[in-house]
Amino acid sequence: MSARPVFICSIGAVTAAGTGVASLGEALTNHAWDAPVGLERPDAPPLPVATCRDFSPRNVLPPLVARRLDRPARMLAVAAREALAPLGDPLPWDRDRVGITAGTWNAGTAALVDVLQAIFLTTPEEAPPAQFPSSITNAPASQLGILEKLGGPNLTFVEKQASGLRAVVEAARLLGHSRAEAVLACGVDEAQWLNADGFERLGVLARPGRAGMRLGEGAAVLLLSPMPSDTSLARLAGWGMASSCSEPWLYPENPNALVQACHQALGAAGMVAGDIDLVMSLANGIPYLGGLELAALQDVLGDHRPAVLGLNERLGEGGFASTLRTLVAALVMSGRVMPAWSPAPHLTDAGYRPLAARPHSALVTAMAAGGSCLALVLTAVD
Amino acid sequence: MKDVWITGIGIVTALGGDRETTWRRLVDGECSIRPLTLFDPTGFRTNIGAQVDDASLPLSDPPRHASRTSLFALVAATEALADAHLAVTSEPRPWALVMGGGAAGLFETESFVARRLRKGPRAHGLTEFLELFQDAPTDQVARRFGLVGPRITISTACSSSTLAVGMAAEMITDGVTPVALAGGTDAISRLVYAGFNSLRAVDPNPCRPFDRTRQGLTVGEGAAVLVLEDADHARSRGARPYARVLGYGATNDAFHMTQPDPSGAAWTRTIEAALTAAGLPADAVDYINAHGTATEQNDAAECAAYQRFFGERLASVPVSSVKGALGHCLCNAGGVEAAITALAVARQMAPPTVGFSEADPACPVDPVPGQGRPLHIRYAISSSFGFGGNSCVLVLGSCT
Repeated sequence: MSARPVFICSIGAVTAAGTGVASLGEALTNHAWDAPVGLERPDAPPLPVATCRDFSPRNVLPPLVARRLDRPARMLAVAAREALAPLGDPLPWDRDRVGITAGTWNAGTAALVDVLQAIFLTTPEEAPPAQFPSSITNAPASQLGILEKLGGPNLTFVEKQASGLRAVVEAARLLGHSRAEAVLACGVDEAQWLNADGFERLGVLARPGRAGMRLGEGAAVLLLSPMPSDTSLARLAGWGMASSCSEPWLYPENPNALVQACHQALGAAGMVAGDIDLVMSLANGIPYLGGLELAALQDVLGDHRPAVLGLNERLGEGGFASTLRTLVAALVMSGRVMPAWSPAPHLTDAGYRPLAARPHSALVTAMAAGGSCLALVLTAVD
Repeated sequence: MKDVWITGIGIVTALGGDRETTWRRLVDGECSIRPLTLFDPTGFRTNIGAQVDDASLPLSDPPRHASRTSLFALVAATEALADAHLAVTSEPRPWALVMGGGAAGLFETESFVARRLRKGPRAHGLTEFLELFQDAPTDQVARRFGLVGPRITISTACSSSTLAVGMAAEMITDGVTPVALAGGTDAISRLVYAGFNSLRAVDPNPCRPFDRTRQGLTVGEGAAVLVLEDADHARSRGARPYARVLGYGATNDAFHMTQPDPSGAAWTRTIEAALTAAGLPADAVDYINAHGTATEQNDAAECAAYQRFFGERLASVPVSSVKGALGHCLCNAGGVEAAITALAVARQMAPPTVGFSEADPACPVDPVPGQGRPLHIRYAISSSFGFGGNSCVLVLGSCT
């Protein structure tokens, strides 16, 4: 754990609900809201992906800047501008002391496919040089660093569904070691048809008559700093990490690693299970994952039944999703939004309830296929 | 403050499928760069690479659907654990695993993509897609060796694995874990080969870091895994160290996606941050294992950083790049270079810059031409720079 406190000072988002945290907040307060779903393929029916259909960087990024960036870099840049805006210009820190951590599952896939299309359908000489740099996973975070002239550590993490929460935890660790004075902790993913086609072949996407997940896209950004401010939304009170061993494309056989991560996080925060007011559910529509989470919650929380809020089944699953869960937890804890969304049925059946009052603490978790698990405890600033 | 030892090293490169073969051939000045056979390079600007000989890899019972990248990592991790005299078993151990993520199963996935693009939705294929995601090799290593502690896959392009080693060491000093496996793995793919070709960043001949006539890099591949250990833990079981990990620094130059800031200013900050973390002054450094890609821009910017930081003393500090022998091992470049630097510290031998023959005024360094050179090394740095401006510097120290 960090010896320095870490606060979420400001946030920014691009989601299927729209551009900006306000759009997300409006969606959260509408119990019937659902995302635009359907990712077109050139030669087959659309796939269940929650897309940021109307996203445009216009009004935020100048055209000459936006044209250099691919879609995930644009979404991340727009979300980051929103998070940075409350701080004004100049920033209160030397820009060389501001870092970036990003979690992603599939950033760069569209550029990758563009290059491969050239190789396989024309000749390697046709490979577009401008696309190759965007095909590397760290491109969105690096482009953000270049755009905002941020010279601190710039790290991208790839841990499938847990990528985004890893970015948050490692941002806190950077601050704890004084490697930066502020860090933009980010999650970002893009919807790309060939990538989604692979998940369809795995049989994990929701289809009529088949429970499963919808993929998502978007960007979520948390500005973290050891210094609280009037606008701080929440404090990172503790975190934990552990893993189980499963094949890279399968969830673990048991919830043990998630349980361990939760206990570590609670212990680091100096809290017990009964102190948790809100659990940000990692459920994504895949029944097996829902079962693992439920078992972990029963183990960690015992008879305690805090409020539960889930996002993935509407906004989509991805590497960005666990950053977004952290963002929404902070937003709710700040009192700015009171979500109207109910927990998934299997959690309701187990006695977990929707939010009815502003929470003062939250547990955010993530579990990746392959077995990596993370847990984070947030507490209210006041 | 906990002391962190490197107690085991496993290496897979085009020079050899194990640590000792790679080291021996490297210090002898051999070059592994050959015509590429992994796929047909017709239509590319170059046709060479530093390709691992898959037949040389001593791996029994490979996991189903494992990519070449995962196989490299498993071989290197097996060697590292055995070298550290730790059990090569899948029994659960609460140790951390931190790896630099590269192409993972991209080479295999490319076959699926080619079929899917050409034949449409009825094209068969699923298993080749399973290891597309960059953390798949990390998962495979964890699964094979029962590593159930924190598991991290970091992607900062060519500095990924350097960061992995630095972050893993920091987890030990923080008391998160007594032992960590750290390093990286990456494999050549059509995408990377085409990408560097399209950027005209490749040399049609084997690369020549710091040489006046250099024309670019040569793509390579491989894996390196280091066993990092709390020194007290290592002492208690009688383990012998190669070197100590003293700290790391990481910054971003925020300059350009594919070109380093020619001033080297951010890279200088990285060196400063690393030595500060290690508690060392600039004049403590006896050897620099350079990124040294052999592109005109990289080598000049890197040397500019060294000049800014070390000043006149740079002339007396050997600076070598292993990429002339091993090619650019992509996201594993930093991992294999950290491993080679640890061996250099342990064996008091600076590895050579293979391919170097003609000094470049823009690179005023002693590149250790020819063969390895005996050298008194108390402290060394291993330096990496990745696309997107990410530099990372690792500080290693002698244990004697």
